[in-house]
Amino acid sequence: MRKTTLRTLGAAVGVLAAATTVLTGCSSTGSGDASSSGGKVTLNYVNWDGGMQTVVDEWNKANPNIQVKLTKPSGTGYTLYNKLITNNKAGTNPDVTEVEYQALPALIANKVVIPIDKYVGDLSGEFSKSDLAQVQFEGKTYGVPQNVCPMVFFYRKDIWDSLGLKAPTTWAEYATDAAAIKAADPKKYIGNFTAADPGWFAGLAQQAGADWWKASGDKWTVAINDEQSKKVADYWGDLITKGLVSPEPNWSAQWNTDMNNGTLVGWVGAQWGPNQLPSIAKDTAGKWEAAPLPAWTAGDDTVGIWGGETEAVTSNSKHPAEAAKFVKWMNSSKDGVTSLIKNVQVFPASIPNQTLPALKTPPPFMSNQPDYNSLMATAAKGVRTFDIWGPNANVTFDSYSNAFGAALQNKTQLSAALDKMQTDTVSDMKKIGFTVTG
Amino acid sequence: MAVIEATTTPAPAPTQPVRPRRRRGSLLPIVLVVPAVVLLLLFTIAPAVYAVVLSFLQVKVGGGLLGGGDTVEVFVGLANYFTTLADPEFWASLGRMLIVAVIGVPLTIFFATLFALCLDAKKARLVGFTRLAIFLPYAVPGVVASLLWGFMYLPATSPIGGQVINYFGSTGIFFSVANVAVWGVVGFNMVILYTAVRSLPKDLFEAAELDGASELQIALRVKLPLIAPAITMVALFSVIGALQLFNEPTTLKPLANAISSTWVPLMRVYTDAFVNNSIYEGAATSFILIIMTVAATVLVNVIGRRFARRETK
Repeated sequence: MRKTTLRTLGAAVGVLAAATTVLTGCSSTGSGDASSSGGKVTLNYVNWDGGMQTVVDEWNKANPNIQVKLTKPSGTGYTLYNKLITNNKAGTNPDVTEVEYQALPALIANKVVIPIDKYVGDLSGEFSKSDLAQVQFEGKTYGVPQNVCPMVFFYRKDIWDSLGLKAPTTWAEYATDAAAIKAADPKKYIGNFTAADPGWFAGLAQQAGADWWKASGDKWTVAINDEQSKKVADYWGDLITKGLVSPEPNWSAQWNTDMNNGTLVGWVGAQWGPNQLPSIAKDTAGKWEAAPLPAWTAGDDTVGIWGGETEAVTSNSKHPAEAAKFVKWMNSSKDGVTSLIKNVQVFPASIPNQTLPALKTPPPFMSNQPDYNSLMATAAKGVRTFDIWGPNANVTFDSYSNAFGAALQNKTQLSAALDKMQTDTVSDMKKIGFTVTG
Repeated sequence: MAVIEATTTPAPAPTQPVRPRRRRGSLLPIVLVVPAVVLLLLFTIAPAVYAVVLSFLQVKVGGGLLGGGDTVEVFVGLANYFTTLADPEFWASLGRMLIVAVIGVPLTIFFATLFALCLDAKKARLVGFTRLAIFLPYAVPGVVASLLWGFMYLPATSPIGGQVINYFGSTGIFFSVANVAVWGVVGFNMVILYTAVRSLPKDLFEAAELDGASELQIALRVKLPLIAPAITMVALFSVIGALQLFNEPTTLKPLANAISSTWVPLMRVYTDAFVNNSIYEGAATSFILIIMTVAATVLVNVIGRRFARRETK
């Protein structure tokens, strides 16, 4: 008992100390705001991308009166978004935040971010329709798209060459190649099906023509278990049953090892792959090559996206105009985008900047493929996304990992997992009060 | 009798002059306790009350495609509790937790008792070092321990036969998770039991020895019954520990497909609150779990006491 009280006391003291730190933290930003009377503004910006500090430093150098302070969030993805939603009420959110496209509707529905049309003006001349669809809702713009991440196929050129195989152009060829690789070496796989990455499957479904969410007026239609998505699930389910594709999830130590030692000789990935591969398969630099994603019908260049983000201005920001200016500089000016390409290895969404000289150099990991970025430019032209991401894509994504994980674990039909995602998504939307059919 | 009663009834009278003294003296304890009580109220009770309030609420969006109107919190009564209780996945998660507990708790008690009795044996050597070695895993944070074991389980990095044994199989996963938990807490429980054994009067063992009891008989027939209350306490700790299972499965989750985000009840609370952004349901599920924890604690206590009483008989 005494021990417990002591521990509680200790914890309480710890909390107090932490609270004091937070308070001083607040007051120091407060004093930064106070100095805005002298025309100087400090913006807080959260982003977890590696290399972002250099981009921010360049802005700060050029804009002494609008200083940006970059912080890395304690958790990425939905950990950050849910924190933003919670802190919104307390008014403690940073001025600018990174948001992945699929999460933006949720932040809008929770009034975390604000429209910035009056600050950024008309973006239609600079961005493709599918990119703007990611940031524009009900006629309002909530961010400037940063990058476009078309899905591509990475393969171990050295191993495929030794087997006399060429990169597959269609999914039918992918299946044939999968069998050939397995026949040549039973330990090898053409790739893996990951239950850890809902965005990955969403991208494949986009390519197949799925539309998980649709909006008309105030009404939502949800069709996650539509025919196209089931086609994708059944295709992969078949390859897994035949033992041609590994059911292991991405990003685990197991996957890293398999990617590094040549057990996995292909990866259905996206534009940002070379940014991640050095930490996944460090011994294979220069051995991978990117090819267009296999198509469902030969010659069709439609691909989905996996990932991609925008910067958004929060409703807590006291300096939305300055914040929007920074956002626009980073994602649409020549200087900002060049810095992003060099330091964060993005492929810009801004069309005029897709021909920047910085893109002539491939990412360091792909030094063997000098035209890496022109492949991305071609792929970007074929991008097809969902009309709109649902306001609760977080629930859908969590459901994906659970349902597909269970199906892979219990060796049940993958397409049935889509039904579970559909039910979970629709019932959650109804619960929150959206008008929804499906 | 009547006379005695008559004389004893005014007996409380002498206590009356004592009372004021006690009152004067009672100020210091109050002063000493106040900070702890205030902190407890501020950081434990107040958040708990707020969580109760949250568990009766639900968020509703206003009109418009993306909730153009204002998002409001509405009172929904016990709806969040019913949602959880009606969800088969909640009971499934509870079931998985119980399977891990059924594997892990007896193993924890068994090994903790075994180690404690072995360390107390007369022939035991290097007691200090061994005790520390057995205790050491308790000092390893749960997340680190899970990562460590996770690498031992994965085929790519396994030194313990992960290439042959599927540690992430549908059945194997329960043992894998229980193993990490047991590995972490055996040392702590062993120390409790060892202390209990050491505090027993030595002459008991000497007497037993003189009567011709072997070391094993002393351990099983003398020491074991005498530390039964301590074993009850260890069992209690283990059961509560099992109910709080979170770190191990959460850390092992990304390694394989075997663990879902609602694998055990606490993971469900976390997912509800911080992934699906419904702190309301998370709060409701938390309270259901608290009630269950208290019930389990009482149950283990009652069983333990009965058991101890029978032993002393």
